[in-house]
Amino acid sequence: MDEKNIRQTRCVNVRQTGNMRRGLWRYRYLYLLALPGMLYFIIFRYIPMYGVVIAFQDFRINKGIWGSEWVGLEQFYKLFGGLSFPAVFKNTVIISLYKLILGFPAPILLALLLNEVKNRKFKKITQTVVYLPHFISWVILAGLIAMFMHPDNGLINEAVKLFNNGKGIDFLVSKKYFRSILVITDIYKGIGWGSIVYIASISSIDSTVYEAAMVDGANRLKQMWYITLPALKSTIVVMFILNMGGILNAGFEQILLLYNPRVYDVADIIDTYVYRNGIMSSNYSISTAAGLFKSVISMGLIIVTNKIAHMLEEDGLW
Amino acid sequence: MRKKYNIFDYIIIFVLVLVSVIMVYPFWHEMMYSFSDPVEAATGGMFLFPRGFNLKSYWSVLRNKSVWTGFRVSVITTFTGTLIGVLLSSMLAYSMSKKEMPGRNILVGMIFFTMLFGGGMIPNYLLIKELKLIDSYGALILPGLCSAWNIFILKNSFTGIPASLEESARIDGANDLTIFFRIVLPLSKAVLATIALFTAVGYWNDYFSTILYIISKDRWSLQAVLREILSNAQSAMSSSGISVRAEEAISSETVKAATVMVATVPILVVYPFIQKYFIKGVMIGSVKG
Repeated sequence: MDEKNIRQTRCVNVRQTGNMRRGLWRYRYLYLLALPGMLYFIIFRYIPMYGVVIAFQDFRINKGIWGSEWVGLEQFYKLFGGLSFPAVFKNTVIISLYKLILGFPAPILLALLLNEVKNRKFKKITQTVVYLPHFISWVILAGLIAMFMHPDNGLINEAVKLFNNGKGIDFLVSKKYFRSILVITDIYKGIGWGSIVYIASISSIDSTVYEAAMVDGANRLKQMWYITLPALKSTIVVMFILNMGGILNAGFEQILLLYNPRVYDVADIIDTYVYRNGIMSSNYSISTAAGLFKSVISMGLIIVTNKIAHMLEEDGLW
Repeated sequence: MRKKYNIFDYIIIFVLVLVSVIMVYPFWHEMMYSFSDPVEAATGGMFLFPRGFNLKSYWSVLRNKSVWTGFRVSVITTFTGTLIGVLLSSMLAYSMSKKEMPGRNILVGMIFFTMLFGGGMIPNYLLIKELKLIDSYGALILPGLCSAWNIFILKNSFTGIPASLEESARIDGANDLTIFFRIVLPLSKAVLATIALFTAVGYWNDYFSTILYIISKDRWSLQAVLREILSNAQSAMSSSGISVRAEEAISSETVKAATVMVATVPILVVYPFIQKYFIKGVMIGSVKG
């Protein structure tokens, strides 16, 4: 048995011309390695995908997914005909667009700045520091945000008081400021981490290109604009496609941990809506419909932006 | 090396120092606050150093039983989840890196599709419920084991290992299992450390799984315990059996700060050591996604 294996492995041609079953048998160890992970993906990713059918049912937990009544698109009519969901959808898009417009260029800018630093040690320390917030949970950050913005003795409000006749602003219950807080704190957490991929791409640029540009008299701003940025183009495109796919995410944990009923009007997004309606109030079907709506749009956005990238002769995500 | 600094360099250094200070100050503030005397700390302002240095707040955190159980739950889930997750992911990724394996494209497509589409919160919740995992460690560990993203990073890294290394082992009679465990894994320490770090941070910072799946307080993760303390220190303290007197009510703010430090320090300790790996790991993965 074992001897046969060795012979099989050694004689490549024999194996390739062998019949299908023998071909598969040859890869048995690779299949064995793949098996647990594949089972994992089937159970924890694909079964929930099938689970979205409850969006087309009147799901009752005691009847289960097989016994519940099918209602077609009724849940979707209810969702869009209701008062809350259209507003929730609008919030999601607005918050995401703010985060995209301000948050997407930020890491690129940071990477460009870091690239211009000549002192290696300074660069390294700065990198270590800016990556850090990515590793801190939203629970902790939300605690810090609440503390710094406390209307009586938060540090930010002590600064505000100097310009506001000694009155602090309770930012976290203010409809006017809440979205800005989301965007700023999101950039705070993500800017450093987001810059890593760009730093990695920059480091793969051939340094002779810069030397040639210097000989031609290009200053550093020009080098940045005409060499570094164009070299980052395909990375930027890939990151943009991924961001488009996440546009209906808007930052679930962040908002869940920071919002409160007084700012629901401006802060309630699809995910928080699904959580409150689905998990807390057990309206499984309608909230699954909301979640499915979100997933389908996200997938569509990824596919469309990827297509556009191809039309612009970029590689895209696939 | 050109080392002549002009005004451009100084502007850049100034901006980056400013950014770094903004990044670090909140944590520094919190740490100094946690070492301060509760009454003196209540005056507010900047905290560059502790005011009336003492460790009272830390004693109060350490007396809180739910912090200990939370810590234990988070250590258990982080450890087992990371170990199993990295093992499963790398095994799957290795077979995906073998172009000649029949069915490989279907497998890659199947994993890739999970990056585009998912069932969402409610179907995931109902799955855990159906599997009778509600209120168990399984609910905290299983959903976050593997991610398509990590698997593709691993796969790209395994593809980069020179085939000649594996061939010579094969000639010596090694099968795919031996090659994977004896040759591929030891050669992939950097990327494995990266994925382990990502997974571990995911588990350590996981708050939502507890909220979603856990009922009994003795299986709450540290983040959930932390959230309770941060959102209302007094009720958290009294519910965990600590009597709240007037002076302790004032101290609740420094207790919050100390709790934050207790949850953050493990990350701060591990992070600098793994940093050099994850930059390498992300680079390998990002070159082509």
